[in-house]
Amino acid sequence: MSSDESNHTEEELKIVQEDELMEQEPVSLEDLDASDIDDEDGDLILEQKVTINNEAALKRITEEFRLKDLPWIETMAVTSTEPIELEDVHDDLKRELAFYQQALEAAKIGREKVKATGLPFTRPDDYFAEMVKSDEHMEKIRQRLLDETAGVKASEDAKRQRDLKKFGKKVQVEKLQERQKKKSEDMEKIKMLKRKRKGAEDFSTEDFDIELDGGADDKSNKKSKRGGPSKREKKDSKYGFGGKKRHAKSNTAESSADVGGFNPKKNKAPFKGQAKRPGKAKRANNRNRK
Amino acid sequence: MASVYKSAKAGETSENKSNGTVDRRINKQRVLLLSSRGITYRHRHLMNDLEAILPQAKKDSKLDSKSHLHILNELAELSNCNNCIFFEVRKRQDLYMWISKTPNGPSAKLHIQNIHTMDELKLTGNSLKGSRHMLSFDKNFDASPHYQLLKEMFTQVYGVPKGARRSKPFIDHILSFSIVDNRIWFRNYQIVEKNPTNTPGYTAKDEDDITLVEIGPRFCMTVIRVFEGSFGGSTVFENPEFVSPNMIRATHRREKATKYNSRQAAQTERKAKLKEAEGKESELSTRKVFG
Repeated sequence: MSSDESNHTEEELKIVQEDELMEQEPVSLEDLDASDIDDEDGDLILEQKVTINNEAALKRITEEFRLKDLPWIETMAVTSTEPIELEDVHDDLKRELAFYQQALEAAKIGREKVKATGLPFTRPDDYFAEMVKSDEHMEKIRQRLLDETAGVKASEDAKRQRDLKKFGKKVQVEKLQERQKKKSEDMEKIKMLKRKRKGAEDFSTEDFDIELDGGADDKSNKKSKRGGPSKREKKDSKYGFGGKKRHAKSNTAESSADVGGFNPKKNKAPFKGQAKRPGKAKRANNRNRK
Repeated sequence: MASVYKSAKAGETSENKSNGTVDRRINKQRVLLLSSRGITYRHRHLMNDLEAILPQAKKDSKLDSKSHLHILNELAELSNCNNCIFFEVRKRQDLYMWISKTPNGPSAKLHIQNIHTMDELKLTGNSLKGSRHMLSFDKNFDASPHYQLLKEMFTQVYGVPKGARRSKPFIDHILSFSIVDNRIWFRNYQIVEKNPTNTPGYTAKDEDDITLVEIGPRFCMTVIRVFEGSFGGSTVFENPEFVSPNMIRATHRREKATKYNSRQAAQTERKAKLKEAEGKESELSTRKVFG
């Protein structure tokens, strides 16, 4: 080390220790050993990591090896106007955005400066030269981007389809419910009508032009009493009232001619044929169901 | 014969110089780029990427020694370099990057983490091989002296000097250095000027607009120490926040070990407790009364 440089370092050390008001020979922190530190209170931590930050020396060194009096175009270094400050370093998106903005600002400033010197900045489209990444690599990147977009599209399609299916089901259920509701409403209406008719016999039924039970109207009109036929009527029908009682159960000419209830197939054992083995798809389906 | 030719040639060039063809390069920077032994593929790819974006760099073969780094000064001198980037790999996993102004210093040792190389398909930009790039520094670099020093060093080492031998005439990418979380983050972006072919819906408003596309590589540097000399000399800055990866791994292992130890201790404690709870046999214990 030259004498000039050693002078420098001594000066620096003095500067460092001036504020501590120590009147000793300058000793660097590494050279101190445990006995040099006076521990009157007994609570000094001797193993504390001594870190070095010799600011004066740093400044001097920087000044020594700095590139001086060079036009900007030699280095093309741009310092941002705003320091980056992030709340959370682990927020990738915000962090990268900050870096991007810093670089973008620099690129804009730099481009103006380069153009001011008259040097070319933009690469013309017909200038072909070796690139940092090969064509095969760029093709891979392009393929990946395509795959990615295709994947996104496919997943979106699938999602839409699922939603549609869900929606379709909903519609179906709604329709069924509506039908059910309508049915019950109709029934309610009919009941109401019936009740009304019963309640207001005297009123003309012209307003309600609905045929309820086919031709049963007359009968129901005849039997106006609530609770059906009377006891007498029942007994009459059971034991008979008036008319001939004999031969009521014997055949007549008409009954013997009537074969309405006869079915020749009824007595035969039905032919089922061989039990058929279901088709393959059906079998697979059945198996799955289990 | 060859030596005669060489000497003749040398005489010629020196004459040329004296005749007035002056080398117009003012900023002469050449970077020696090499690694130690035991480098992994990812680190090697990163080194190749750096070589690709630095046309003034000269790659050398791996250095055998990790302790005698001062020979790097001689190596740099042998290959006419006044800067050196040295990748020191420890335990085949930790990468340290030495950046040095050979032969007189200063130099800095940085720990490299979060490496993404240019091969990654997510980084879609591209640029000319050997085109000069601009350097973008965060304002934070001016905040403290050691960052100022590093900024100057990065400017010289990572900047491509004008008229460098293999450099190409256009400027199509930008290196950015930012300080976040007491680390230096390195990014490399392609500069895309908007024109009708690359911008759908191009309007006159987009005329001078620029977008950036990341090319890679990206990594993150933590300063460990700054030395006054090149690969040695007195330390002028030491990062108090730096924790060596060895320490971190050791702590992890110790934590794991304590997990086992504490479980064992808990088990013995429980056994003792149970034994105590059993109680002693007395006159009135069930076995005596009904047994």
